[in-house]
Amino acid sequence: MRLKNKSELLLETLKYVLAFTAVAVIGAALISFQGAAPGEAYAAILQGICGSASAIGNTIRWITPCIFTGIAATVAFRSGVMNLGIEGQLYVGAFAATLVGLYAELPGWLLPLACLLAGSLSGLLFALIPAVIKLVFRIDEMITTLMLNYVALWVTEYFTKIVKGASANNNSKAMATPVIQESAELTTLVPRTNASTGIFIALLLVAVVFVIYRFTKVGYEMKQVGENLRFARVGGVRTTRMFISIFLLSGFIAGLCGAVEILGVYGKFTPSFANNIGWDGIMISMIAKNSPVGVALASMLWGALKAGALQMERVTSTNRLTVELIQAMFVLFVTIDYRRLWGKWKDRQPRKRTAGKGKEGGIC
Amino acid sequence: MDTILELRGVTKRFGSLVANREIDLTVKKGTIHAVVGENGAGKSTLMNIISGVHRLDDGEIFLEGKPVNFRSPTEASKAGIGMVHQEFMLFPELTILDNIMMGYERTGKLGLLDRRQVRAEVEELLRTYNFNIPLDELAREQPVAMLQQIEIVKILYRGANILIFDEPTSVLTPAGVEGLFRAMRFLVSKGKTILFITHKLKEVLQVADEITVLKEGAVVGHTTPAETSEEQMASMMVGRNVMLKANKLKKDRGRPILQVTDLQARNDNGIVKLKHVNLTVHAGEIVGIAGVAGSGQVELVQCLYGLRAPESGAILLDGDDITRASCREHRCKGIGLVPQDRMADGCNRAAPIWENCIMGYHIAHGFRSKWLIDRGEAETFAQRVVDEFSVKASSLNEPISSLSGGNVQKAIVGREFLQENKLLIMEDPTRGIDIGAIEFIWKKIEELAASGVAVLLVSQELNEVMEVSDRIEVIYDGQLYDGGLHGELTEAQIGLLMTGGVEDAAEK
Ligand SMILES: Nc1ncnc2c1ncn2[C@@H]1O[C@H](COP(=O)(O)OP(=O)(O)OP(=O)(O)O)[C@@H](O)[C@H]1O
Ligand SMILES: [Mg+2]
Repeated sequence: MRLKNKSELLLETLKYVLAFTAVAVIGAALISFQGAAPGEAYAAILQGICGSASAIGNTIRWITPCIFTGIAATVAFRSGVMNLGIEGQLYVGAFAATLVGLYAELPGWLLPLACLLAGSLSGLLFALIPAVIKLVFRIDEMITTLMLNYVALWVTEYFTKIVKGASANNNSKAMATPVIQESAELTTLVPRTNASTGIFIALLLVAVVFVIYRFTKVGYEMKQVGENLRFARVGGVRTTRMFISIFLLSGFIAGLCGAVEILGVYGKFTPSFANNIGWDGIMISMIAKNSPVGVALASMLWGALKAGALQMERVTSTNRLTVELIQAMFVLFVTIDYRRLWGKWKDRQPRKRTAGKGKEGGIC
Repeated sequence: MDTILELRGVTKRFGSLVANREIDLTVKKGTIHAVVGENGAGKSTLMNIISGVHRLDDGEIFLEGKPVNFRSPTEASKAGIGMVHQEFMLFPELTILDNIMMGYERTGKLGLLDRRQVRAEVEELLRTYNFNIPLDELAREQPVAMLQQIEIVKILYRGANILIFDEPTSVLTPAGVEGLFRAMRFLVSKGKTILFITHKLKEVLQVADEITVLKEGAVVGHTTPAETSEEQMASMMVGRNVMLKANKLKKDRGRPILQVTDLQARNDNGIVKLKHVNLTVHAGEIVGIAGVAGSGQVELVQCLYGLRAPESGAILLDGDDITRASCREHRCKGIGLVPQDRMADGCNRAAPIWENCIMGYHIAHGFRSKWLIDRGEAETFAQRVVDEFSVKASSLNEPISSLSGGNVQKAIVGREFLQENKLLIMEDPTRGIDIGAIEFIWKKIEELAASGVAVLLVSQELNEVMEVSDRIEVIYDGQLYDGGLHGELTEAQIGLLMTGGVEDAAEK
């Protein structure tokens, strides 16, 4: 039993190593195609990940939102709730946190706390909409959440204009809210970088979700609901309530992510600032096979690559999109079912006839 | 007669477990060959090897004298071997014709789909083999017996000469079984060969030409219906004599636990399925409900368990009104359910055995903490299920899908039996279970009732209802009729009630 798990673990690790190598090779080809030296580019990436204190800070900065959105996706997908609206919930949360950070007058640590709460609760409320639509009108949440992403994007942009006043420049790139009060910001971990204490909130979240799945009845039910809804219902799980709670939890985490981005990094709300971080979370939860600890690990890789890519773009002529392409390919390689593939390939091979019995079939 | 299929020394291992051990089997062309054996004896595994689902570790298979080695079900199907699995593999939203041709479409000019050609071929098949199937209706609207016929036609369409059925009769009503047997005999008369698995030995004697008995992965006997009897086969399978009789204990009938008054309910299509149902089950009493499938049993159980809201009427549990309570409240109040569809409602096949065993227990009974799952306690309980109901499992951490069909059923039954319920509702609790284990489960039901639990048994097996129940109710067209106490009415009398004989009698 244990042995089997060990070999399974080995196989899994091997898979990630292989995927990584394959992607590195393809990446090298892509980079040299753009006229840069792959070695140089990779060195730049590495430099960008951990070459200096500020590089490390930057890496931490990018790991943080990856963890949040990855967990938001994991919580939903593991229970079969297709919440594709993480991006939108994140915007709503970020905007709400900005408002509180701008206007609320609270002493000491109460202000950032209020901002975080405002962000996460708004994300939660925004996720309530598709949940209710699903329950009342039976419209698939995959569609509603997808559409509501646009709603969130445009509504927050609209409100940004209002906050800024009528004179706001119509160019949305330049448009942003004023900067939030300094006392609302999260403490910076590495000076002159955007690495903030948000990473601790993210890691705490990973721990909490891990404990929920591993040790609690709710976690047990969340898993069963995702794997066989009818079984869970007959077994006495309140499936409707579970569906709503999971939706809300996922939205809560996405909103929290938005708040942390504002309080820890940007300091003000700029429309469309998130740049698909919500979608990154969905990819990450896929790599991590919906395991919370896996999300933490995958986020480290993902965030590091993101940080490295920016550096690479700065020092070489390579486009940052190359790294995004590489990341996407990595997801592809990791989600392939190699065992199946191997089995298929093995089956194609002409089978050697074993003369007589008694010879132990070694493999399997 | 020619040998069409021959297995020599076929061995299949799952890890350290040997599911098939050096199996020799000879199947003659144009015969019905039955394979019987206890739960976990390796019947399904063997059939899966023949049909290319699993690959053998050792041994050889000869098809019409030539060695074969199928690497996938598709290859087996090309060679003329097709299997009807226990769980049907149909697309509910497609028409029957589309289901039949799925994956084996004929194409005409330009590679376009030629439905007309397919239809002609399928209709030809239907004519040849005497099937009556509405090809243009949706699969989802068909009753189980029809779905099974569709599966048969599907593999015939793929050109199967050897047809394998894994427990085909366990999902069918007696009438459906008759129909299936007629079809099987007809197929054989047209030169097809059939391998089939069942736990019902009467059926084996009725329909098989040859019988192979498996035990613990190995062949322990080969015989024919003329040479053997149910008793002899049973003792070959189980290794001891089995008397399929419930041993009735003396029980004290206690207070009424379940009281149903004037219950009325519709099914999903709005058809009234329960009409003024009145039913009482007392503590320490086993009430059996007999009836032809589709008479309202499903809706009754759904209402009783909070899966369907009744239109009117009341359901009381020990005096509490539970008419509109949720499943969870039912669990908490001490009602257990062994559902009919073990794979869809009874278990989560992706989850380990222990997770499957604590469902429900984690809400109503288990664990010191309100929030946490005590892994030790969970495993203790799961281990009890496995031990007390002799579930053949190598480890509690294995997924439940690695168990044989009957062992999954035993685990589900065990889980519900050990939860100290006030009322236990069971739908076909012994479906897919071998006769040794049926005897054992009947004994458990009796003991459970003797300990003061109210038991409601809904079963398609009239024999089971008549053997196990203290009191029998017959359901016909959504209404309950008194079927007397244990042994009061004969099988024929109850059979008459099941088909609405009472009304006729009343009219006359
Ligand atoms: N995929 C699998 N992985 C591990 N063990 C398996 C797997 N499939 C079957 N087994 C084991 O092989 C043995 C034989 O199983 P099989 O399904 O062939 O039994 P069976 O004779 O069909 O029983 P039943 O009458 O209950 O359906 C069982 O002990 C089962 O646990
Ligand atoms: Mg089986």
